[in-house]
Amino acid sequence: MTEIVLISGKGGTGKTSIAAAFSYLAGQDIVLADCDVDAADLHLLMQPDFNIAQNFYSGHIAEVNADICNQCGRCVEVCRFGAITVMNGQYGVEHLNCEGCGYCSRICPTNAIMMKNQNVGKWFISNTRLGSSMVHACLGIGAENSGKLVAQVKKEAKRIAGELHRDFVLVDGSPGIGCPVISSLSGSDFVVLITEPTVSGLHDLKRVFEMVKKFHIRAACIINKFDLNLKITSEIEDFLKQENIIHLVNIAFDDSFTKAMIKGQTVVEFSQRNFQQILTESWEKIKKITKTGGKKE
Amino acid sequence: MKIAFTTKGSTWDSKMDPRFGRTEYILIYDDEKDKFSVFDNRENSNEAYGAGPLTAQKLFELNPDVLITGNGPGGNAATVLGKSDMKIYIGASDLCVKEAFEAYQKGELEEF
Repeated sequence: MTEIVLISGKGGTGKTSIAAAFSYLAGQDIVLADCDVDAADLHLLMQPDFNIAQNFYSGHIAEVNADICNQCGRCVEVCRFGAITVMNGQYGVEHLNCEGCGYCSRICPTNAIMMKNQNVGKWFISNTRLGSSMVHACLGIGAENSGKLVAQVKKEAKRIAGELHRDFVLVDGSPGIGCPVISSLSGSDFVVLITEPTVSGLHDLKRVFEMVKKFHIRAACIINKFDLNLKITSEIEDFLKQENIIHLVNIAFDDSFTKAMIKGQTVVEFSQRNFQQILTESWEKIKKITKTGGKKE
Repeated sequence: MKIAFTTKGSTWDSKMDPRFGRTEYILIYDDEKDKFSVFDNRENSNEAYGAGPLTAQKLFELNPDVLITGNGPGGNAATVLGKSDMKIYIGASDLCVKEAFEAYQKGELEEF
């Protein structure tokens, strides 16, 4: 089984739309893992059935025990996030502000502050409308994605792929280069970088590729909306050559991406004429490369 | 010499864990004494953030001469490990511990 991760560095490059298109083309070959949990939206296109739901605990949150609290106010002094509230002499914690650092708990002279595991949301094992399996998550208000949640989603996806003898786990990674992205790369076999020809597109591509390099994972790239700025597209192409990244395809700007999204379809379903061929070719190419050893020697 | 492996179980036949920071176990093999020891890393792998540096710190305490893992520590963990003399070998993702050890002996693993 091969784990393929789609990342972009910059958000808004079309990563999730392309992940959805690949999963449409791959059909039953894959288990889909949506690790872009901060703003999960793959489910809008895949319409999963939320078959199995589990609570997810990540990070900590402070809780003041009013019976033991002697109202000394040390916690208010040390909290850098302004999370300790005082109402009518009662100390409490504003959940949205608490970062879970535990400083208040550590300095509390009466040990009145406990750090509790925080329930940040749910994760799901689903069947998509295309008949494939999908692991995804939904976070509560103010909760954020974490390396731990990504690791959990990927682990579950891998387990299912093993059980059902699927060839691929397709991971929709999150933007940026933080902990969730590191976690999506760790343990994966192949990376598809989705970028666009903008200054920030190229800048963030370079940043995220630094991490891919550290993990010694073979990478390929799709330049989406390439015709919006041919100069930067050619800069990106130079970068790909220089870093020995496989250049899969350039996709022209096409408002089908947005229109398909509104209809809850993948771009391949929405406009077969424009996307069926180029994305099938890309997917077949990825399959071929990963079968012959995606890992960098 | 002490060799550390990132693993999914606690025996010689266990699968390697390709992940560094969130590896489930760290297995230490002392090839001079032919002795095994196991560290359960599941507490570190359960951290929301920064599992890599925590596991790296643990490795500092376990102090092996060699680390064998999947696709390597991430940026922060690599910086921590760079301060030690530990040699790191990667590319053992799909093997079991025994096979990873043999691959290391044959010089088939890539140095990080």
